[in-house]
Amino acid sequence: MIETADTTPARARARFRLPGPLFLLFVALPTLAALAYFGVLASDVYVSESRFIVRSQDKATPTALGLLLNNATLSHGTPESSAAQSYLLSRDALSALNHGNAYARAYTRPGISRFDRFDPLGLAGSFEDLYKYYEGHVRVDSDSTQGITVLTVRAYTPADAHVINEQLLRLAETTVNHMSERARHDLITTSEREVFDAKAAARAAGAALARFRNTAGVIDPEKQAPIQYELVSKLQDELIEARSDRRQLMIVAPQSAQIPALDARIKEIETRINEQSGLAAGNRKKSLAAAGEEYQRLSLESDFAAKRLAASLASLEAAENEAQRKSSYVERIVEPNRPDSAIEPHRARGILTTLVFSLIVWGVATMLIAGIREHGS
Amino acid sequence: MSAAGATELRRAPVPLGTAIAVQRRVIFALLMREALTRYGRHNIGFLWLFVEPMIFTIGVTALWSITKTVHGSTIPITAFALTGYSSVLLWRNMPGRCINALMPNLPLLYHRNVRIFDIFVARLLLEFAGATMSFLLLAMLFTLIGWTQLPENLLEVIGGWFILAWFGMALALFLGALSVRSELVEKLWHPLSYLTFPLSGAAFMVDALPRQAQDFVLLLPMVHGVEIVREGYFGSYARAHYDVGYIVAVALVLTFLALLQIRAVAPDIIVE
Repeated sequence: MIETADTTPARARARFRLPGPLFLLFVALPTLAALAYFGVLASDVYVSESRFIVRSQDKATPTALGLLLNNATLSHGTPESSAAQSYLLSRDALSALNHGNAYARAYTRPGISRFDRFDPLGLAGSFEDLYKYYEGHVRVDSDSTQGITVLTVRAYTPADAHVINEQLLRLAETTVNHMSERARHDLITTSEREVFDAKAAARAAGAALARFRNTAGVIDPEKQAPIQYELVSKLQDELIEARSDRRQLMIVAPQSAQIPALDARIKEIETRINEQSGLAAGNRKKSLAAAGEEYQRLSLESDFAAKRLAASLASLEAAENEAQRKSSYVERIVEPNRPDSAIEPHRARGILTTLVFSLIVWGVATMLIAGIREHGS
Repeated sequence: MSAAGATELRRAPVPLGTAIAVQRRVIFALLMREALTRYGRHNIGFLWLFVEPMIFTIGVTALWSITKTVHGSTIPITAFALTGYSSVLLWRNMPGRCINALMPNLPLLYHRNVRIFDIFVARLLLEFAGATMSFLLLAMLFTLIGWTQLPENLLEVIGGWFILAWFGMALALFLGALSVRSELVEKLWHPLSYLTFPLSGAAFMVDALPRQAQDFVLLLPMVHGVEIVREGYFGSYARAHYDVGYIVAVALVLTFLALLQIRAVAPDIIVE
């Protein structure tokens, strides 16, 4: 124990002074590589950034945790903004961007270093490879609770960065507008069709009722019947009067010449009564009661159609309001900037990070090996 | 040992190959000794190594399934608990085993070839084997009875598992070495390990958290490991958030500090 205690530092000192193969492998090599890459080989990266928000009247959907804590502010943002974000990182967006191979050309310019260029060796030029490359050069971040989306594009010329960012933003706008239009269309068409049907039904019911009135010669049996009965009761009154007149006359002057006249009158009144009460209800086809049955059906139908039309009109209005509420659009907060100098790669930081980490790896490796070497036979 | 032998040893160190072979034998012997002293030969003996974590995991899985814990994803709760709690057992039990690991093993250091590092590593390997077997057996069992499906990307699960194990080992070595210096480590680790459990990603998917919480939770390295395991296991079901570089960097720095600490405390240990 005592002898290891004094040999270890001595041995360690000797190893620290002379850069051994471990040092060369774990420190010198990576640091030199980092120096070469960050110092010379890496191309300047221009970063263009834009910010937008997807406005919609709808409330944001709270997360599970937000629901649990009954806190609506803990949210992922609106579904529309998530949709815009996932669209921006999709193959669809890339294929729209790469129209006429424009995107691939922007990243294979001869000025870009072989280490940063897309498909440097001409071996991996498929669309999937381009998509992988694209994912490394476009970033979409959502800015915590406020729902602001930050779109960052990295390119190797300022113009490319700016143009690509602008195009992506426009694509996102188109997508959101399309979604909004589609939702609006879906909501309103059903209601519109309903209104159309209800209108046709109301028109048909109205026409059927009018046609019935013409053919049956009845306007409204319910209202006509009382008039009829009034007429009959007046005739009845007259009949009673005429009969009592006749009875009086028979007693006072049985030979009076007026009696046959009264008889004729009574007969006339009786036939009139029969006629009129037959019109109100009874045997004949033309009676009000018989017409009332058909009329009641038609008028109910027309009432129903009118109510249905009113309801469907109200629901169309509600749907229009809902569509208005659901409509969403991209609002730009920060327009894509056109960078005037390259802010990446962080050359000094890259070299320093490599150095520090390779020193740590080397330290671990040396200590592990020293630990192993402590085991004699 | 004679003085001549000592000088000879100093001038010509043993070849690395021999030293590795010796260390392997030492660690294996320590491992067997550890398994025997810990579990003994009575009842199921050494099987406790993985039965114990299995019971833990089954218990937690049952509890979570019954209470239908909110975890904010569409993953079935049993599979969720299995991946989550197994990962916790993996990284959390390691420091517990290493803190104050030297005291019962102090006499062993009398042998020149038994180093502090070996004692720690033997315990860590045992712990790793136990947690891994428990995870493996439960995953197979649950798959057989249809509670989970097979992992979508087995290699990713294994990778995440190893990274998590590395992190746990580095943390354990560091804390184990520190505990030689101060017994505060043991006192503080217990509350700390319980406090980190709810934050460690075992009980939630990072994706289900709000943005600010995500940024905060992702500062904890083990969350990244659990997320990798989950992504490998559930693939498309789970939207994982992790940064391999971060957890690897943390584990690397921890390893470095741990080895430094072990070297620093080595002279302080007095073998009676």
